Amino acid sequence: MKFLRRTLAVAAKDLRSEIRSKEAVNASVSFALVILLLFSFAFDLEPEEIREIAGGLLWLIFAFAGTLILNRSFARELVNDCLDALLASPISGAELFLGKCLANYVLIIIVECISLPFFAIFYDVRLPHLGLLFVVMLLGTWGITVIGTMFSAMTVNLRLRELMLPTLVYPMLIPALLGAIQLSRVLITNGRLADNFIWFRILVAFDVIFTILALALVEIVLVG
Amino acid sequence: MSPQNYTFMFFGFAVAWLIVIGYVISIALREKKLRQELDRVKRMVEESESKSR
Amino acid sequence: MRQKIILTLAGLAGLILAWNLHTIFLEVPDEANQGAIFRIIYFHVPAAITSFTGFYVGMFSAVGYLIKKDLRLDSIAASINEVSLAFASITLVTGSIWGRIIWGIWWTWDPRLTSYFVCLLIYFGYFMLRRAIDDPTTRARLSAVLSIFACVDIVLVWKSIEWFRTQHPGPVLEIRGGGGMAPGMEAPLWWNFLAFLMLATALILIRTRQESMRLEIDALRRHAHAF
Repeated sequence: MKFLRRTLAVAAKDLRSEIRSKEAVNASVSFALVILLLFSFAFDLEPEEIREIAGGLLWLIFAFAGTLILNRSFARELVNDCLDALLASPISGAELFLGKCLANYVLIIIVECISLPFFAIFYDVRLPHLGLLFVVMLLGTWGITVIGTMFSAMTVNLRLRELMLPTLVYPMLIPALLGAIQLSRVLITNGRLADNFIWFRILVAFDVIFTILALALVEIVLVG
Repeated sequence: MSPQNYTFMFFGFAVAWLIVIGYVISIALREKKLRQELDRVKRMVEESESKSR
Repeated sequence: MRQKIILTLAGLAGLILAWNLHTIFLEVPDEANQGAIFRIIYFHVPAAITSFTGFYVGMFSAVGYLIKKDLRLDSIAASINEVSLAFASITLVTGSIWGRIIWGIWWTWDPRLTSYFVCLLIYFGYFMLRRAIDDPTTRARLSAVLSIFACVDIVLVWKSIEWFRTQHPGPVLEIRGGGGMAPGMEAPLWWNFLAFLMLATALILIRTRQESMRLEIDALRRHAHAF
Protein backbone atom coordinates (compact mmCIF):
# COMPACT_ATOMS: atom_id res chain seq x y z
CA MET A 1 0.00 0.00 0.00
CA LYS A 2 1.69 3.12 -1.24
CA PHE A 3 -0.27 5.34 1.13
CA LEU A 4 0.94 3.42 4.17
CA ARG A 5 4.53 3.26 2.95
CA ARG A 6 4.71 6.99 2.30
CA THR A 7 3.03 7.84 5.59
CA LEU A 8 5.44 5.66 7.50
CA ALA A 9 8.34 7.19 5.61
CA VAL A 10 7.33 10.67 6.76
CA ALA A 11 6.78 9.42 10.32
CA ALA A 12 10.16 7.69 10.34
CA LYS A 13 11.89 10.84 9.09
CA ASP A 14 10.42 12.98 11.85
CA LEU A 15 11.09 10.41 14.54
CA ARG A 16 14.65 9.86 13.37
CA SER A 17 15.47 13.56 13.40
CA GLU A 18 13.90 13.95 16.84
CA ILE A 19 15.65 10.94 18.34
CA ARG A 20 19.00 12.24 17.11
CA SER A 21 18.57 15.67 18.70
CA LYS A 22 16.11 14.89 21.48
CA GLU A 23 15.33 18.60 21.77
CA ALA A 24 11.55 18.46 21.79
CA VAL A 25 11.22 15.49 24.12
CA ASN A 26 13.67 16.97 26.61
CA ALA A 27 11.96 20.33 26.60
CA SER A 28 8.56 18.71 26.90
CA VAL A 29 9.51 16.45 29.80
CA SER A 30 11.16 19.34 31.64
CA PHE A 31 8.08 21.43 31.12
CA ALA A 32 5.86 18.63 32.43
CA LEU A 33 8.00 18.31 35.57
CA VAL A 34 7.92 22.07 36.13
CA ILE A 35 4.14 22.09 35.88
CA LEU A 36 3.96 19.20 38.34
CA LEU A 37 6.03 21.28 40.71
CA LEU A 38 3.95 24.42 40.24
CA PHE A 39 0.70 22.53 40.77
CA SER A 40 2.05 21.12 44.01
CA PHE A 41 2.56 24.70 45.23
CA ALA A 42 -0.85 25.77 43.98
CA PHE A 43 -2.80 23.03 45.70
CA ASP A 44 -2.44 21.87 49.26
CA LEU A 45 -4.86 18.99 49.54
CA GLU A 46 -5.54 15.81 51.45
CA PRO A 47 -4.65 12.58 49.63
CA GLU A 48 -8.29 11.68 48.95
CA GLU A 49 -8.89 15.10 47.44
CA ILE A 50 -5.80 14.80 45.29
CA ARG A 51 -7.06 11.51 43.96
CA GLU A 52 -10.27 13.25 42.91
CA ILE A 53 -8.49 15.90 40.86
CA ALA A 54 -5.63 13.68 39.74
CA GLY A 55 -7.32 12.92 36.42
CA GLY A 56 -7.65 16.60 35.63
CA LEU A 57 -4.10 17.47 36.66
CA LEU A 58 -2.68 14.64 34.63
CA TRP A 59 -4.37 15.65 31.42
CA LEU A 60 -3.60 19.33 31.87
CA ILE A 61 0.06 18.39 32.13
CA PHE A 62 -0.17 16.13 29.07
CA ALA A 63 -1.95 18.82 27.04
CA PHE A 64 0.53 21.60 27.93
CA ALA A 65 3.60 19.47 27.42
CA GLY A 66 2.20 18.05 24.19
CA THR A 67 1.76 21.52 22.71
CA LEU A 68 5.51 22.06 22.79
CA ILE A 69 6.00 19.06 20.53
CA LEU A 70 3.08 19.91 18.27
CA ASN A 71 4.28 23.45 17.70
CA ARG A 72 7.53 22.21 16.19
CA SER A 73 5.79 19.71 13.99
CA PHE A 74 5.40 21.78 10.85
CA ALA A 75 7.54 24.67 12.03
CA ARG A 76 10.71 22.60 11.76
CA GLU A 77 10.11 22.25 8.01
CA LEU A 78 10.27 25.99 7.39
CA VAL A 79 14.07 26.05 7.54
CA ASN A 80 15.72 25.63 4.14
CA ASP A 81 12.30 25.55 2.44
CA CYS A 82 11.81 21.93 3.43
CA LEU A 83 8.04 22.42 3.59
CA ASP A 84 7.91 23.55 -0.03
CA ALA A 85 10.02 20.56 -1.00
CA LEU A 86 7.69 18.19 0.82
CA LEU A 87 4.63 19.75 -0.78
CA ALA A 88 6.20 19.52 -4.23
CA SER A 89 7.05 15.85 -3.74
CA PRO A 90 4.66 13.04 -4.77
CA ILE A 91 3.53 12.72 -1.16
CA SER A 92 -0.08 13.84 -0.81
CA GLY A 93 -1.11 16.25 1.92
CA ALA A 94 -2.96 13.51 3.76
CA GLU A 95 0.09 11.24 3.80
CA LEU A 96 2.29 14.08 5.05
CA PHE A 97 -0.22 14.96 7.73
CA LEU A 98 -0.77 11.40 8.90
CA GLY A 99 2.96 10.71 8.99
CA LYS A 100 3.57 13.76 11.15
CA CYS A 101 0.61 12.81 13.33
CA LEU A 102 2.09 9.38 13.95
CA ALA A 103 5.50 10.82 14.78
CA ASN A 104 4.02 13.41 17.15
CA TYR A 105 1.86 10.72 18.70
CA VAL A 106 4.82 8.51 19.50
CA LEU A 107 6.76 11.45 20.95
CA ILE A 108 3.91 12.67 23.14
CA ILE A 109 3.26 9.12 24.42
CA ILE A 110 6.92 8.89 25.34
CA VAL A 111 6.70 12.17 27.26
CA GLU A 112 3.54 10.98 29.01
CA CYS A 113 5.07 7.65 29.98
CA ILE A 114 8.02 9.47 31.50
CA SER A 115 5.83 11.99 33.35
CA LEU A 116 3.31 9.50 34.71
CA PRO A 117 5.56 7.84 37.30
CA PHE A 118 6.77 11.25 38.49
CA PHE A 119 3.17 12.30 38.86
CA ALA A 120 2.35 9.19 40.87
CA ILE A 121 5.36 9.73 43.12
CA PHE A 122 5.03 13.49 43.68
CA TYR A 123 1.35 13.37 44.50
CA ASP A 124 1.34 9.98 46.17
CA VAL A 125 -1.35 8.69 43.84
CA ARG A 126 -1.70 4.99 43.41
CA LEU A 127 -2.52 3.86 39.88
CA PRO A 128 -4.42 0.59 40.16
CA HIS A 129 -5.85 0.03 36.69
CA LEU A 130 -2.65 0.86 34.84
CA GLY A 131 -3.55 -1.07 31.67
CA LEU A 132 -6.89 0.67 31.23
CA LEU A 133 -5.27 4.00 32.10
CA PHE A 134 -2.80 3.40 29.32
CA VAL A 135 -5.66 2.75 26.89
CA VAL A 136 -7.23 6.06 27.91
CA MET A 137 -3.87 7.75 27.39
CA LEU A 138 -3.61 6.27 23.91
CA LEU A 139 -7.09 7.46 22.93
CA GLY A 140 -6.84 10.89 24.49
CA THR A 141 -3.39 11.58 23.11
CA TRP A 142 -4.54 10.75 19.58
CA GLY A 143 -7.23 13.44 19.90
CA ILE A 144 -4.65 15.99 21.07
CA THR A 145 -2.26 14.95 18.30
CA VAL A 146 -4.76 15.15 15.43
CA ILE A 147 -6.07 18.59 16.36
CA GLY A 148 -2.63 19.89 17.28
CA THR A 149 -0.95 18.71 14.09
CA MET A 150 -3.79 20.07 11.98
CA PHE A 151 -3.55 23.50 13.57
CA SER A 152 0.22 23.37 13.38
CA ALA A 153 -0.19 23.01 9.62
CA MET A 154 -2.65 25.89 9.60
CA THR A 155 -0.50 28.30 11.55
CA VAL A 156 2.87 27.34 10.13
CA ASN A 157 3.28 30.46 8.03
CA LEU A 158 2.02 32.98 10.56
CA ARG A 159 4.19 35.37 12.51
CA LEU A 160 2.50 34.66 15.84
CA ARG A 161 2.61 30.89 15.43
CA GLU A 162 3.54 30.05 19.04
CA LEU A 163 0.73 32.24 20.36
CA MET A 164 -1.93 31.13 17.92
CA LEU A 165 -1.50 27.39 18.30
CA PRO A 166 -2.47 27.09 21.98
CA THR A 167 -5.24 29.68 21.58
CA LEU A 168 -6.84 27.74 18.75
CA VAL A 169 -6.17 24.21 19.95
CA TYR A 170 -7.26 24.18 23.61
CA PRO A 171 -10.91 25.14 23.15
CA MET A 172 -11.20 22.58 20.36
CA LEU A 173 -9.78 19.85 22.58
CA ILE A 174 -12.34 20.21 25.33
CA PRO A 175 -14.50 17.18 24.49
CA ALA A 176 -11.47 14.92 24.26
CA LEU A 177 -9.88 16.33 27.41
CA LEU A 178 -13.15 16.05 29.31
CA GLY A 179 -13.54 12.42 28.28
CA ALA A 180 -9.96 11.57 29.14
CA ILE A 181 -10.11 13.43 32.45
CA GLN A 182 -13.32 11.74 33.52
CA LEU A 183 -12.09 8.29 32.56
CA SER A 184 -8.75 8.84 34.30
CA ARG A 185 -10.50 10.12 37.40
CA VAL A 186 -12.70 7.03 37.49
CA LEU A 187 -9.76 4.72 36.97
CA ILE A 188 -7.72 6.39 39.71
CA THR A 189 -10.47 6.63 42.32
CA ASN A 190 -12.91 3.76 42.15
CA GLY A 191 -12.62 1.92 38.85
CA ARG A 192 -16.37 1.87 38.09
CA LEU A 193 -15.79 2.14 34.39
CA ALA A 194 -19.16 0.67 33.40
CA ASP A 195 -21.07 3.67 34.81
CA ASN A 196 -18.91 6.10 32.88
CA PHE A 197 -18.86 4.40 29.52
CA ILE A 198 -20.34 7.50 27.87
CA TRP A 199 -16.95 9.25 28.19
CA PHE A 200 -15.32 6.43 26.36
CA ARG A 201 -17.77 6.87 23.52
CA ILE A 202 -17.17 10.63 23.41
CA LEU A 203 -13.41 10.10 23.27
CA VAL A 204 -13.60 7.55 20.47
CA ALA A 205 -16.15 9.67 18.56
CA PHE A 206 -13.86 12.70 18.87
CA ASP A 207 -10.87 10.76 17.57
CA VAL A 208 -12.72 9.24 14.64
CA ILE A 209 -14.58 12.38 13.57
CA PHE A 210 -11.60 14.70 13.68
CA THR A 211 -9.19 12.25 12.08
CA ILE A 212 -11.51 11.95 9.10
CA LEU A 213 -12.17 15.69 8.99
CA ALA A 214 -8.47 16.50 9.21
CA LEU A 215 -7.47 14.03 6.50
CA ALA A 216 -10.16 15.47 4.24
CA LEU A 217 -9.23 19.13 4.77
CA VAL A 218 -5.45 19.08 5.23
CA GLU A 219 -4.76 19.26 1.50
CA ILE A 220 -6.71 22.52 1.33
CA VAL A 221 -4.77 23.93 4.26
CA LEU A 222 -1.33 22.99 3.00
CA VAL A 223 -1.68 23.58 -0.69
CA GLY A 224 -4.92 25.42 -1.41
CA MET B 1 -41.58 42.26 43.16
CA SER B 2 -38.53 43.34 45.07
CA PRO B 3 -36.89 46.57 43.98
CA GLN B 4 -33.54 44.78 43.81
CA ASN B 5 -34.88 42.50 41.12
CA TYR B 6 -35.99 45.49 39.10
CA THR B 7 -32.52 47.01 39.35
CA PHE B 8 -30.85 43.88 38.09
CA MET B 9 -33.31 43.47 35.29
CA PHE B 10 -32.75 47.06 34.24
CA PHE B 11 -29.00 46.47 34.24
CA GLY B 12 -29.47 43.27 32.27
CA PHE B 13 -31.41 44.97 29.52
CA ALA B 14 -29.11 47.99 29.63
CA VAL B 15 -26.02 45.85 29.12
CA ALA B 16 -27.60 43.95 26.24
CA TRP B 17 -28.52 47.20 24.52
CA LEU B 18 -25.12 48.70 25.22
CA ILE B 19 -23.41 45.79 23.53
CA VAL B 20 -25.62 46.13 20.47
CA ILE B 21 -25.16 49.90 20.31
CA GLY B 22 -21.43 49.57 20.89
CA TYR B 23 -21.16 47.07 18.07
CA VAL B 24 -23.16 49.26 15.69
CA ILE B 25 -20.97 52.25 16.57
CA SER B 26 -17.81 50.22 15.94
CA ILE B 27 -19.19 49.22 12.55
CA ALA B 28 -19.97 52.85 11.72
CA LEU B 29 -16.47 53.97 12.72
CA ARG B 30 -14.93 51.22 10.61
CA GLU B 31 -17.05 52.37 7.69
CA LYS B 32 -15.76 55.92 8.01
CA LYS B 33 -12.15 54.72 8.24
CA LEU B 34 -12.55 52.45 5.22
CA ARG B 35 -14.07 55.24 3.10
CA GLN B 36 -11.20 57.57 3.95
CA GLU B 37 -8.70 54.85 3.09
CA LEU B 38 -10.49 54.08 -0.17
CA ASP B 39 -10.41 57.74 -1.22
CA ARG B 40 -6.75 58.03 -0.32
CA VAL B 41 -5.76 54.97 -2.28
CA LYS B 42 -7.85 56.03 -5.28
CA ARG B 43 -6.03 59.35 -5.27
CA MET B 44 -2.71 57.50 -5.06
CA VAL B 45 -3.62 55.41 -8.12
CA GLU B 46 -4.66 58.48 -10.08
CA GLU B 47 -1.44 60.29 -9.16
CA SER B 48 0.79 57.43 -10.19
CA GLU B 49 -1.17 56.92 -13.41
CA SER B 50 -0.88 60.60 -14.35
CA LYS B 51 2.84 60.51 -13.50
CA SER B 52 3.54 57.56 -15.72
CA ARG B 53 1.84 59.21 -18.71
CA MET C 1 -31.24 49.38 -3.55
CA ARG C 2 -29.03 47.65 -1.05
CA GLN C 3 -29.07 50.67 1.21
CA LYS C 4 -32.87 50.56 1.16
CA ILE C 5 -32.93 46.89 2.14
CA ILE C 6 -30.63 47.55 5.05
CA LEU C 7 -32.68 50.48 6.27
CA THR C 8 -35.97 48.59 5.93
CA LEU C 9 -34.65 45.60 7.83
CA ALA C 10 -33.19 47.71 10.60
CA GLY C 11 -36.31 49.83 10.80
CA LEU C 12 -38.63 46.85 11.00
CA ALA C 13 -36.41 45.21 13.58
CA GLY C 14 -36.46 48.37 15.67
CA LEU C 15 -40.24 48.57 15.48
CA ILE C 16 -40.73 44.96 16.48
CA LEU C 17 -38.30 45.32 19.36
CA ALA C 18 -40.01 48.46 20.60
CA TRP C 19 -43.45 46.87 20.40
CA ASN C 20 -42.14 43.78 22.13
CA LEU C 21 -40.67 45.81 24.95
CA HIS C 22 -44.14 47.16 25.52
CA THR C 23 -45.62 43.67 25.53
CA ILE C 24 -42.89 42.22 27.69
CA PHE C 25 -43.15 44.82 30.38
CA LEU C 26 -46.81 45.58 30.56
CA GLU C 27 -48.80 42.61 29.36
CA VAL C 28 -46.91 39.50 30.38
CA PRO C 29 -47.44 38.63 34.05
CA ASP C 30 -44.59 37.79 36.38
CA GLU C 31 -43.49 34.20 36.23
CA ALA C 32 -44.35 32.18 39.32
CA ASN C 33 -40.89 31.25 40.53
CA GLN C 34 -38.52 33.72 39.07
CA GLY C 35 -40.33 37.02 39.18
CA ALA C 36 -39.57 39.86 36.86
CA ILE C 37 -36.03 38.89 35.94
CA PHE C 38 -37.65 36.15 33.91
CA ARG C 39 -38.28 38.74 31.22
CA ILE C 40 -34.63 38.70 30.32
CA ILE C 41 -35.29 35.38 28.62
CA TYR C 42 -36.88 37.41 25.84
CA PHE C 43 -33.42 38.67 24.96
CA HIS C 44 -31.27 35.81 26.13
CA VAL C 45 -32.86 33.00 24.12
CA PRO C 46 -33.37 34.83 20.80
CA ALA C 47 -29.79 36.10 20.97
CA ALA C 48 -28.57 32.56 21.58
CA ILE C 49 -30.55 31.06 18.71
CA THR C 50 -29.54 33.90 16.38
CA SER C 51 -25.85 33.50 17.11
CA PHE C 52 -25.94 29.73 16.76
CA THR C 53 -27.79 29.95 13.47
CA GLY C 54 -25.24 32.52 12.40
CA PHE C 55 -22.25 30.34 13.15
CA TYR C 56 -23.66 27.46 11.13
CA VAL C 57 -24.74 29.62 8.21
CA GLY C 58 -21.25 31.11 8.36
CA MET C 59 -19.82 27.63 8.06
CA PHE C 60 -21.93 26.94 4.96
CA SER C 61 -20.75 30.18 3.45
CA ALA C 62 -17.18 29.16 4.18
CA VAL C 63 -17.72 25.77 2.53
CA GLY C 64 -19.21 27.68 -0.40
CA TYR C 65 -15.98 29.64 -0.66
CA LEU C 66 -13.90 26.45 -0.66
CA ILE C 67 -15.99 25.10 -3.52
CA LYS C 68 -16.46 28.24 -5.62
CA LYS C 69 -13.31 30.17 -4.65
CA ASP C 70 -15.34 33.40 -4.70
CA LEU C 71 -13.89 35.83 -2.17
CA ARG C 72 -17.30 37.41 -1.66
CA LEU C 73 -18.44 34.22 0.04
CA ASP C 74 -15.52 34.57 2.40
CA SER C 75 -16.53 38.16 3.17
CA ILE C 76 -20.05 36.97 3.90
CA ALA C 77 -18.75 34.19 6.15
CA ALA C 78 -16.54 36.56 8.13
CA SER C 79 -19.35 39.10 8.55
CA ILE C 80 -21.82 36.46 9.68
CA ASN C 81 -19.35 35.09 12.20
CA GLU C 82 -18.59 38.55 13.54
CA VAL C 83 -22.24 39.49 14.01
CA SER C 84 -22.91 36.09 15.58
CA LEU C 85 -20.04 36.70 17.97
CA ALA C 86 -21.67 39.97 19.05
CA PHE C 87 -24.97 38.20 19.68
CA ALA C 88 -23.15 35.42 21.52
CA SER C 89 -21.66 38.02 23.86
CA ILE C 90 -25.14 39.35 24.51
CA THR C 91 -26.31 35.81 25.28
CA LEU C 92 -23.52 35.25 27.75
CA VAL C 93 -23.93 38.58 29.51
CA THR C 94 -27.71 38.29 29.84
CA GLY C 95 -27.34 34.68 30.93
CA SER C 96 -24.84 35.73 33.55
CA ILE C 97 -27.14 38.40 34.93
CA TRP C 98 -30.06 35.98 34.97
CA GLY C 99 -27.90 33.53 36.86
CA ARG C 100 -26.91 36.19 39.37
CA ILE C 101 -30.56 36.67 40.27
CA ILE C 102 -31.67 33.06 40.22
CA TRP C 103 -28.65 31.24 41.58
CA GLY C 104 -26.89 34.11 43.32
CA ILE C 105 -23.70 33.68 41.32
CA TRP C 106 -22.37 35.66 38.36
CA TRP C 107 -21.01 32.59 36.65
CA THR C 108 -21.43 28.87 36.88
CA TRP C 109 -19.86 26.11 34.86
CA ASP C 110 -23.12 24.65 33.67
CA PRO C 111 -23.38 22.97 30.23
CA ARG C 112 -24.84 25.79 28.21
CA LEU C 113 -22.84 28.69 29.58
CA THR C 114 -19.62 26.68 29.45
CA SER C 115 -20.05 25.38 25.91
CA TYR C 116 -21.14 28.85 24.87
CA PHE C 117 -18.01 30.31 26.39
CA VAL C 118 -15.94 27.72 24.53
CA CYS C 119 -17.76 28.73 21.33
CA LEU C 120 -16.82 32.34 22.05
CA LEU C 121 -13.19 31.39 22.59
CA ILE C 122 -13.04 29.39 19.37
CA TYR C 123 -14.40 32.30 17.36
CA PHE C 124 -12.08 34.79 19.03
CA GLY C 125 -9.37 32.50 17.74
CA TYR C 126 -11.02 32.61 14.32
CA PHE C 127 -10.74 36.39 14.21
CA MET C 128 -7.20 36.34 15.54
CA LEU C 129 -6.32 33.99 12.72
CA ARG C 130 -7.93 36.27 10.15
CA ARG C 131 -6.06 39.25 11.48
CA ALA C 132 -2.74 37.43 11.34
CA ILE C 133 -2.98 36.64 7.63
CA ASP C 134 -2.50 39.38 5.03
CA ASP C 135 -3.11 37.49 1.80
CA PRO C 136 -6.88 37.36 1.13
CA THR C 137 -6.92 33.92 -0.50
CA THR C 138 -4.92 32.25 2.26
CA ARG C 139 -7.01 34.04 4.87
CA ALA C 140 -10.23 32.84 3.27
CA ARG C 141 -8.95 29.29 2.90
CA LEU C 142 -7.65 28.87 6.45
CA SER C 143 -10.56 30.55 8.19
CA ALA C 144 -12.97 28.40 6.15
CA VAL C 145 -11.28 25.24 7.40
CA LEU C 146 -11.24 26.64 10.94
CA SER C 147 -14.96 27.39 10.88
CA ILE C 148 -15.71 23.84 9.70
CA PHE C 149 -13.68 22.45 12.57
CA ALA C 150 -15.32 24.89 14.97
CA CYS C 151 -18.88 23.98 14.05
CA VAL C 152 -18.24 20.24 14.27
CA ASP C 153 -16.44 20.73 17.56
CA ILE C 154 -19.17 22.85 19.13
CA VAL C 155 -21.65 20.00 18.79
CA LEU C 156 -19.22 17.70 20.59
CA VAL C 157 -18.40 20.31 23.23
CA TRP C 158 -22.08 20.86 23.96
CA LYS C 159 -22.87 17.17 24.31
CA SER C 160 -19.84 16.41 26.42
CA ILE C 161 -20.32 19.30 28.84
CA GLU C 162 -24.01 18.45 29.14
CA TRP C 163 -23.04 15.09 30.56
CA PHE C 164 -20.51 16.76 32.78
CA ARG C 165 -22.64 19.31 34.57
CA THR C 166 -26.31 19.73 35.27
CA GLN C 167 -27.31 22.98 36.81
CA HIS C 168 -28.96 24.98 34.04
CA PRO C 169 -32.77 24.90 34.16
CA GLY C 170 -34.13 22.31 31.79
CA PRO C 171 -35.40 23.43 28.41
CA VAL C 172 -38.16 25.95 29.06
CA LEU C 173 -39.29 25.81 25.46
CA GLU C 174 -40.22 22.41 24.18
CA ILE C 175 -40.39 22.88 20.48
CA ARG C 176 -41.98 19.49 19.95
CA GLY C 177 -44.25 18.84 22.88
CA GLY C 178 -45.93 21.03 25.45
CA GLY C 179 -43.58 23.10 27.50
CA GLY C 180 -42.67 25.07 30.53
CA MET C 181 -44.10 28.26 29.20
CA ALA C 182 -47.75 29.30 29.10
CA PRO C 183 -48.85 29.95 25.51
CA GLY C 184 -49.57 33.61 26.09
CA MET C 185 -46.00 34.21 27.19
CA GLU C 186 -44.30 32.52 24.27
CA ALA C 187 -45.26 34.88 21.49
CA PRO C 188 -42.97 37.84 22.37
CA LEU C 189 -40.05 35.45 22.32
CA TRP C 190 -40.56 34.45 18.72
CA TRP C 191 -41.22 38.07 17.72
CA ASN C 192 -37.95 39.06 19.35
CA PHE C 193 -36.23 36.25 17.53
CA LEU C 194 -37.55 37.57 14.23
CA ALA C 195 -36.42 41.06 15.14
CA PHE C 196 -32.95 39.81 16.07
CA LEU C 197 -32.68 37.90 12.81
CA MET C 198 -33.56 41.02 10.84
CA LEU C 199 -31.16 43.12 12.85
CA ALA C 200 -28.44 40.52 12.34
CA THR C 201 -29.10 40.40 8.60
CA ALA C 202 -28.88 44.18 8.34
CA LEU C 203 -25.60 44.21 10.25
CA ILE C 204 -24.24 41.35 8.15
CA LEU C 205 -25.07 43.20 4.94
CA ILE C 206 -23.25 46.28 6.20
CA ARG C 207 -20.22 44.28 7.30
CA THR C 208 -20.06 42.36 4.04
CA ARG C 209 -19.95 45.59 2.11
CA GLN C 210 -17.14 46.76 4.38
CA GLU C 211 -15.20 43.57 3.73
CA SER C 212 -15.61 44.06 -0.02
CA MET C 213 -14.37 47.63 0.40
CA ARG C 214 -11.37 46.29 2.29
CA LEU C 215 -10.58 43.90 -0.59
CA GLU C 216 -10.98 46.72 -3.10
CA ILE C 217 -8.60 48.93 -1.09
CA ASP C 218 -5.98 46.20 -0.97
CA ALA C 219 -6.26 45.60 -4.69
CA LEU C 220 -6.02 49.33 -5.47
CA ARG C 221 -3.04 49.73 -3.18
CA ARG C 222 -1.22 46.94 -4.97
CA HIS C 223 -2.15 48.59 -8.25
CA ALA C 224 -0.80 51.92 -7.03
CA HIS C 225 2.48 50.50 -5.84
CA ALA C 226 2.94 48.59 -9.08
CA PHE C 227 3.71 51.82 -10.91
